[in-house]
Amino acid sequence: MNPRILRPESLADACALLSQDEDALVYGGGTALQILRKQGILSASSFVDISGIPGLNNLHHTGNELLVGPMVSIRRMETDPVVRESVPIASAAYAKVANPRVRNTATVGGNIAHGDYRLDPPVALLVLGATIKATSTAGTRAIPIDKFFIDFQLTALNRGEIVTSIEIPISNDVVASTFVKFSSLSANDWPSASAAAAIVARDGEAQILRLALGALAPTPVMTAVDITGMREAQATEAAVESAMLIMDPLPDVRGGVEYKRNLGRIAVENAVRNLWRDRQSV
Amino acid sequence: MSSEVFSLESQDGNAVGQSWKRTNSESKVMGTFRYTADLPVPKCLYLGVHRANQPHARIDGIETESAMAIPGVVKVITGADLYDALGENLFTGPAFSDQPPVAWQRVRYVGEPVAVVLAEDLATARAAADEIYVEYEFITPVLDVNAALEGTDYVHDELRPSAVFPDLRHLMGKRDTNVNYEYNLIRGDSETAHQEAPVTVSGEFWTPPTSHVAIENFSASAWVEENRLELVSTTQTPSYVRQAIATMLNLRLNQVRVRTLGLGGSFGSKMYDRLEPLVAAIAWTQKLPVRLELTREEAFVLTTRHGVAVSSRMSADANGNIVAATADVRYDTGAYADIGPRIAAKSGMVACGPYRIENAKIKSRCIYTNKPSAGPFRGFGVPQVTWSHESLVDDLARDLGEDPARFRRRNLLREGDVSPVGTVMHSADFIGCLDAVTEAIGWTDPLEKIEGSWKWGRGVAVGIKAVLTPTVSNAVLQLNQDASATLLISTVDMGQGSDTIMAQIVADVLFLGPDRVRVINPDTDVTPYDTITAGSRSTYHTGNAVKKAAETMRDRLIEIAAKQMGVSASDCKLAPGGVISSSSQRLISLEDLILSQFGAAGTTMTAEANFTTEWVPYDRTTGQSTKITEHWFAGAAAAELGVDTRTGRIRIRHLAVAGDVGRAINPALVNQQLLGGAIMGMGHALFDEIVFDQGQIVNGTLLDYQLPSIKDMPEKLTPIIVENPHRTGPFGAKGVGETGLIPIAPAIANAVRDAIGIRITTLPLTPEKVLSALANQGNK
Repeated sequence: MNPRILRPESLADACALLSQDEDALVYGGGTALQILRKQGILSASSFVDISGIPGLNNLHHTGNELLVGPMVSIRRMETDPVVRESVPIASAAYAKVANPRVRNTATVGGNIAHGDYRLDPPVALLVLGATIKATSTAGTRAIPIDKFFIDFQLTALNRGEIVTSIEIPISNDVVASTFVKFSSLSANDWPSASAAAAIVARDGEAQILRLALGALAPTPVMTAVDITGMREAQATEAAVESAMLIMDPLPDVRGGVEYKRNLGRIAVENAVRNLWRDRQSV
Repeated sequence: MSSEVFSLESQDGNAVGQSWKRTNSESKVMGTFRYTADLPVPKCLYLGVHRANQPHARIDGIETESAMAIPGVVKVITGADLYDALGENLFTGPAFSDQPPVAWQRVRYVGEPVAVVLAEDLATARAAADEIYVEYEFITPVLDVNAALEGTDYVHDELRPSAVFPDLRHLMGKRDTNVNYEYNLIRGDSETAHQEAPVTVSGEFWTPPTSHVAIENFSASAWVEENRLELVSTTQTPSYVRQAIATMLNLRLNQVRVRTLGLGGSFGSKMYDRLEPLVAAIAWTQKLPVRLELTREEAFVLTTRHGVAVSSRMSADANGNIVAATADVRYDTGAYADIGPRIAAKSGMVACGPYRIENAKIKSRCIYTNKPSAGPFRGFGVPQVTWSHESLVDDLARDLGEDPARFRRRNLLREGDVSPVGTVMHSADFIGCLDAVTEAIGWTDPLEKIEGSWKWGRGVAVGIKAVLTPTVSNAVLQLNQDASATLLISTVDMGQGSDTIMAQIVADVLFLGPDRVRVINPDTDVTPYDTITAGSRSTYHTGNAVKKAAETMRDRLIEIAAKQMGVSASDCKLAPGGVISSSSQRLISLEDLILSQFGAAGTTMTAEANFTTEWVPYDRTTGQSTKITEHWFAGAAAAELGVDTRTGRIRIRHLAVAGDVGRAINPALVNQQLLGGAIMGMGHALFDEIVFDQGQIVNGTLLDYQLPSIKDMPEKLTPIIVENPHRTGPFGAKGVGETGLIPIAPAIANAVRDAIGIRITTLPLTPEKVLSALANQGNK
């Protein structure tokens, strides 16, 4: 049966609706929920559509953070000059989601709550060290992004919680950043491997390479490598070595384990190459 | 070329050869075009289909109580209910009467209908279908063609060929086999020729099943009106459906009415028995109006393209002449034969390609397995055998150290040659197509073969297909007093543009302008019989019927005008503006002419014509025929592409595709057909594939089943029209619906072979497959 659509006009009302019915689901843009529902993978008694709640589609630059409301569209993250300027790697990852029609409809909050291991934005958010704010009748809590993805299609969100904000730190220490994505079938397909990477300066000379991988394990995964004083070849080797340890690909119609590991390795190699190129040009 | 033969035609009304704008293009762009599912029908009960989750099982019981308990559910119908009402007539099919609309006693593929819910609305019907529980007794499934040939498990206890075909009669009741049809071609002595030849190449080829994925999904409605059955459905074969349903329900043809509007794509999926037997059987036996709309996921199990295995061999002499070809072709037709037996024959007869080959031996078999039934798909089985012969020919050329295009050029069939199937060639310019595509991509220009991790290469392939023969087309043309015309044909415009082309043919003969000819949507109560809209046959066959009807109309107009002007008919001719008398230079407009004739405004004149083709049935032992087909389709494709040796990804820089269309009635539409076929073929080459696990489709959704997107397009895509007029084509024209697809996959694979030196014999050429081939090469 089709779920009822509920349209609360305040966050408190939305939280109350979710607390009263444990089979209710938060409804953002609907691009993932509708497909999963039609495929019979999930069912819900009602959809709590949060598009009518004021303030949830705000995008706010505080100086050292970008505060992104859950109803901000993927497309806006791709095109907004503020996002492009302050967190270019996030903008690059959001720009690679599906196609313009989906990006115009899908939302930042829904995307992260979906928790799929192949999504593009989470790897960028991992590298940037974002924080997810989740609100329920019990209040609001902050979940660091590296604690957010628990297992295959499972996030740290509890029933009744709504993603109310994503807080992305803006740091002058990010020397270079990049996002690389490979699909194995159609060019528009889900990725078979993706990598987001950034070089972050620490205490003057020290440099850390932060690296997150998508589609290469049951959840998006993250590692960091100290590349202080390394040349490109050494950094590539160190990054690949570290990345191979966290890869645990799922075989499917898009390729087997060995193929995906290989593609993951190439994604990391390309990412480091891009970083070096960008670092040179700074 | 025979320009004199066609000089008479060129005096006509100037519509043929023009790129008239596609009929209904505005409404399609604006979203106001009415598709079949939009046609108003009486208030219907919606059908929800409960489908088998077993590939092969006996049905021990069907529990329907919980479905019936849902408010809004009216009835649940099982195969047993329908069998009780219709008996053996329940089993239908275009070649074999083997498929029940709802499984009876036994299920033969995952997704087969087992029970059907009738409910007040669609959501309730589908939800209730999920509540049905079926008890199965497991039967060992037959999951691939090799198991089907070697094992002792059978999909059907005995063969049930349709009684109407004499050539299938000997198969009736045959037991202990999964092979429902076998075609053999024997010419010369291929075994000896292979042995004596200095160069022989061979391969084991595989093309996987694929899905048509027409953007418009399937729907059908049926109801009873005054002891007649009314049917509205998405079908490209309304005349066939009327006959099939009349037979099933034991009705006269005029008790069954089938209607369809323009289709939003089909590619062979909406042919023969799809939803129609199901809705018709339920509507007629229950005397209830019913409607069935498939989900996208259901469409994946409704029909597929045949997966085909080919074991083949080809030999050449020291001079580079092909001397022998052998092929063992196995079509995986799934649980029901559908048109598979005809596909196995029509494709088997061209399995050694469009070459001068004196010694050929082909065995082509149609084989049951416990999978969704495979049916026609753009190319009718031919792309799958082209995959084999165009790979082999390429290897043969390379083994001889010769340029693959030049090697083909020497061996290709020419006008007047006798093809390996025994028929003389006419109007099939393979060499013209080959030259056109190789020239387009700069075949002989220098190529930088290595750029970093990328390796570049070029490949070419040709394709041959015979048009379906014999067939029947009819046209009824009504000329209105205001000099507008209404054309009644049963050709279905499913995006190929037939409504536009047929209007152009009428307009050309009768000197009418664009928008003056309206083509009526197929309605078996109104539009005359037409075998099928398929196999690229409409332009030639229906086009000929339409042209004949228009010419009959022209002759009658001249006759009437001559009488009115008091001159002889031979003194008059039809010209722009009306009929003109040469001696008096007097012109009568069509409006005045018809007005004078009948003395009333708004009157009509009607002309009709039939066009029927004939063949010489092939010899059952040798497959030979002096006229296997009315005409041939000839095409070629060439590709320049790169292979990323790190990721295995293929990037096509230029894909050129050419087809000999006889004469392009509408060049823009011909180009679009060539391109559409090429893009679809590119999907088949690179990633299009239905993946099965134990008889279950694992990627049967549009999330997981990948089609080419705009981002997958080659950097350059060049369609080329080759015109080699056919002596009996309307204005010399032939069809082009499949030509562009047939040679694409081997052209791409041959370019990959050129780039990385590896012959890959199984489609699709996914990055994973390319990488694993590269790894194997490295290990050698």
